[in-house]
Amino acid sequence: MSKKTQAARYAIGIDLGTTNSALAYAEIAAAADPFAPANVQLAAIPQLVNPGEVRDESLLPSFLYLATASDFPAGAMALPWDAERSFVVGCLAQKRGAENVGRLVSSAKSWLSHSGVDRTSALLPFRAPEGVAKISPVEATRRYLEHLREAWDAQHPDAPFTAQQVLVTVPASFDAVARELTLEAAKQAGYRNVTLLEEPQAAFYAWIERHDDWRQRAQPGDLILVVDIGGGTTDFTLIAVTESNGELALERIAVGDHILLGGDNIDLALAGAVAARLAEKGTRIDSRQLQSLWNNCRTAKEKLLDPDSRAAEIPVTILGKGSGLVGGTIKAALLRSDIEKVLGEGFVQAVPSTEMPAQQRRVGLQELGLPYAADPAITRHLARFLRQQAAVSEHGTVRRGPSGLACPTHVLFNGGVLNAAMVRERILATLDTWLAEEGMPPVKPLSGEDLMHAVARGAAYYGLARSGRGVRIRGGVPRTYYVGVESAMPTVPGFPAPLKALAVVPFGMEEGSEVTIPGREFGLVVGQTAEFRFFTSAARKDDRPGDLIEDFGDQLEELSPIEVSFPSGENSSEVVPVSFEAVVTETGVLQLWCVARDGRKWKLEFNVREKVKG
Amino acid sequence: MKIGLAFRCFFNLLFGGALSSTVLVELGLVKRAAAPAARASAPAVVRTPADGALQILGILQRDSRLVDFLMEDIDVHSDEQVGAAVREVHKQCRESLTRYVRLEPVIDGVEGTFAKAPSADPNVVKFIGNVPAKPPAGGTLRHKGWRAAKVDLPALGTGQDAAIVAPAEIEIE
Repeated sequence: MSKKTQAARYAIGIDLGTTNSALAYAEIAAAADPFAPANVQLAAIPQLVNPGEVRDESLLPSFLYLATASDFPAGAMALPWDAERSFVVGCLAQKRGAENVGRLVSSAKSWLSHSGVDRTSALLPFRAPEGVAKISPVEATRRYLEHLREAWDAQHPDAPFTAQQVLVTVPASFDAVARELTLEAAKQAGYRNVTLLEEPQAAFYAWIERHDDWRQRAQPGDLILVVDIGGGTTDFTLIAVTESNGELALERIAVGDHILLGGDNIDLALAGAVAARLAEKGTRIDSRQLQSLWNNCRTAKEKLLDPDSRAAEIPVTILGKGSGLVGGTIKAALLRSDIEKVLGEGFVQAVPSTEMPAQQRRVGLQELGLPYAADPAITRHLARFLRQQAAVSEHGTVRRGPSGLACPTHVLFNGGVLNAAMVRERILATLDTWLAEEGMPPVKPLSGEDLMHAVARGAAYYGLARSGRGVRIRGGVPRTYYVGVESAMPTVPGFPAPLKALAVVPFGMEEGSEVTIPGREFGLVVGQTAEFRFFTSAARKDDRPGDLIEDFGDQLEELSPIEVSFPSGENSSEVVPVSFEAVVTETGVLQLWCVARDGRKWKLEFNVREKVKG
Repeated sequence: MKIGLAFRCFFNLLFGGALSSTVLVELGLVKRAAAPAARASAPAVVRTPADGALQILGILQRDSRLVDFLMEDIDVHSDEQVGAAVREVHKQCRESLTRYVRLEPVIDGVEGTFAKAPSADPNVVKFIGNVPAKPPAGGTLRHKGWRAAKVDLPALGTGQDAAIVAPAEIEIE
């Protein structure tokens, strides 16, 4: 990699979404007025929308179709920059994939964060018939990122992508392994100068970008809750407004767990409600008709949820199969009461702040393979998130009520689902009930616009902030990380030696810093691979490096093991005493090193091939 | 070379009434066709004027199933059934039509009021009713007319067969 001899001309923000990706950019004007407004623009992404037809769209659907010769006429998959392309990414992939699921790669991002599988192995499309050459979640991600790079290069021949500063967003809840794999995919896609940024932070940057007067709207002590509900995932983050040197500062103080639950689930539930009503009348629909019903319900939902809409129902029609169109047409309607029921009794129920999400899996919402959320109630997940902040003493300043519930002062919404005022209002109403119980005033919603593109825009803005313009959110690592250490006890047959967890990375450790874990050394044999079990927690924020945790029960979540290979030296039986050192790079990647007393260092790598029991 | 080309132009025009394609290319009036892709299996496709018409038919069928609708016997179905299907077909059809063809009125006026004829070209304006011997300057606008201001059809690939308006579908269960 060449050194940064030439300064990047643009900051490029990439929202690598579960169902849609977007790209925004802003020009980094050298020595410009630091208070000049950042001119963030959305990029058009040329992609195949029909066989042989390339069109610019503002979103790139994160779908990949592994085509064969029988899928499209010769040359119909050609892109302006590649006439010989043999797979399809984007709109056409999504469209064709609905007709042939076995060749469609979808939700690659969710697979990238699924620790129960080997994420570098070829396992997608998950439901591929035998004989289909599968690809890994990392490879699928690489192809989306590559498409975005090529699309940029085709439109900006004078500003090559690799010379620009690139920000790729990941869910705040992505663990260290998922982040590293994302970065790995970006490198394989030919990216240089990549930095990772958390999506809710990016959404907040987008809000700041749009509101020059944000300093008047926030004051020290405020707590901003970011609720991000995308197509496939839900993510919560808390950002505290603090004061340092008389200036307002922002600190990301908590992130929630990775919840596989989103707008697609809502649309599917609506389609299910309509299909159930049809079934009562004796009309059965097959899976392909359900697909078209699903799409129509999404459109009908948006119409019903439009603030100006007074309609009690919107007709949804499923056209007849085969060439007999009128004869086979099935007429149905999506009722306003369907939406109220699905949201009110399902996804955004009004629940007390003490109610935690159900743990057992529910049928109907899940697809085999991915660990979908067992409880569809987003409000319950939110209750748990705000409660979790009470379980530990605070990191930074968290505004909390008497019962310990974190009490946000502002809410920022992000994600396509929250375009619907009804969903936003229900979440606000539930939050306000909780706050009233704690004796706190209601939250103020921060008006966001363009919820589909905010993350990409915010990422580009953050790129500018890194080059010295605009405000930065301090955050650091959103979790505490531990290495498993077996207790030195006499072995008792039948009882495994109890495992203790050694904290190695403290919560909030900042980018570009490093920490040496005091007080513990391990003897490692040269020429062999040493493996450690690796754990994490988003809730235990007070553990300091070197702390040993016993009996942690289910408070810690196990990640892929980490391993280190020692090159064999002259003396093969040499045992080297080493200690751990943790580094968080400027690009937001966590690294663990083994350091010998003489200063030699070896990097610990994630062993993603080994499965973690779910 | 120049003289040769001049002669070929002259005789082309004299006997053929038009310049041959090779001459047009040499004159720089037409871009040289891109070198045909080295694909042994795909024979060179000769495009005919009908291909464009078939292409738009294919698009409307693909996006809105218009051909299915037009070719179906709708007499046997109730108005309600037809209505339900038409709404869906109409929505999709309109979406794709407006995407590929920008239609605008020939005369942007209010129907039923006086409008000036922009031209005497019978392509543009059709006079109806008591039309005097000499075409008048204007009259009551009965139909605004449609003009395709812009057609934005994707180029047909060499591998695409425009005659197939919709492929047959075979499901593997």
